[in-house]
Amino acid sequence: MDKITETEHLIACNECDLLLERPVILDSQKAKCPRCGSTLISARHNSIERTLALSIAGMILIFPANLFPLLTFELMGRAQSQTIFSSAMGFYYDGLWPLAVLVLMFTILVPACKLLLLFWVSFSLQFSIRLPARRFALRSYQHLDEWGMLEVYLVGVLVSIIKLASMATLVPGLGIFCLGALILVTTMSSSMLDTDLFWHKIGEADND
Amino acid sequence: MINTGQSAASQGLQSCHDCHALWRLSDQNTHCRRCGSALHLRKPNAMPLTWALLLTSTFLLIPANMLPIMMITSLGRGEPATILGGVIDLIDLGMYGIAFVVLAASILIPVGKIIGLLIMLVTLQFGLTTNMQQKMMMFRMVHWIGRWSMLDIFVVAVLVALVQMGNLAQISGQLGATAFAGVVIFTMLAANAFDTRLIWDKHPGTDSE
Repeated sequence: MDKITETEHLIACNECDLLLERPVILDSQKAKCPRCGSTLISARHNSIERTLALSIAGMILIFPANLFPLLTFELMGRAQSQTIFSSAMGFYYDGLWPLAVLVLMFTILVPACKLLLLFWVSFSLQFSIRLPARRFALRSYQHLDEWGMLEVYLVGVLVSIIKLASMATLVPGLGIFCLGALILVTTMSSSMLDTDLFWHKIGEADND
Repeated sequence: MINTGQSAASQGLQSCHDCHALWRLSDQNTHCRRCGSALHLRKPNAMPLTWALLLTSTFLLIPANMLPIMMITSLGRGEPATILGGVIDLIDLGMYGIAFVVLAASILIPVGKIIGLLIMLVTLQFGLTTNMQQKMMMFRMVHWIGRWSMLDIFVVAVLVALVQMGNLAQISGQLGATAFAGVVIFTMLAANAFDTRLIWDKHPGTDSE
């Protein structure tokens, strides 16, 4: 079999390998595997357009979220601000550089890469431009997805506020609101991404 | 003739791990012609890899909980803080809700994940194919919840960056935090290395007519 079209009417469950007729579903519906219950396909309304828009919004928001201070800590007339980057560097100065690298990756590098990759793929599909390495970009995005941990980081900031509130004054900065918006946008973009549709479109374009 | 309702493998088909396109079994060890990823019928070395990663994270649990994750210095007096100590401090402050969130994220979830993956591995090893729906549900939970264990690491990161006031008040990260991050990452990798389809291959009624 050289062409994918021979098996296009079939689908195999990704978690239990059950072979099924590909279900026909409407916008914003999901098809689940009857045997193991995993999601086979989940269609999204205007998936390509929306992921493109959300990835652009994310690429804009990532700058203020990283540049403005998240929190300012005031104690006896002295103040100390903190950004995402400085919280990674704190570990570096304490000699825990592996941890600094991990925090840097999970909270800055991976979220930024995810937005760029998603933008690359959805831009290429939206305007039918065959950008180089878009297959690699989408695969990379799928593998990076769970390693972006901005929302966990935000909850970490909130827990820190509670821990420090009794000993000093804490002032939330502009950064924390931008971070909140960024998390909203990235979460929506990954839930709006219909990978099945994206791969289908890429396969169609490459077969022509 | 391809029959649905059977495993794809029994019908001579394999799906690509990344884009889920279906190819013939004879395409094994080539690359998917749609997305370019390497084709394998099942994830290679799923069992030994998952065992190895799981054991690594189990061993790391010991230093993660015994060593301090941070050192709190106030007015010149240093005090090491462990993960469990942080939870107890929050309980002493009367913040039971937050104490529970931190306890869940840093102790219950990592231990629960390790137990969950252990159940999946034992299931596979001995071909125990009862309650498969529940086991799959549990595995999906384990997979989804894994990243939330990084919570405590991020809390320490924020505290270290904020509380830098010299002799007045100072918080510094300690080795326990590195070990704990190791636990989280190795359990996440273990969950990724595992292939649930291997268990379904042993499920009766899959391959028999």
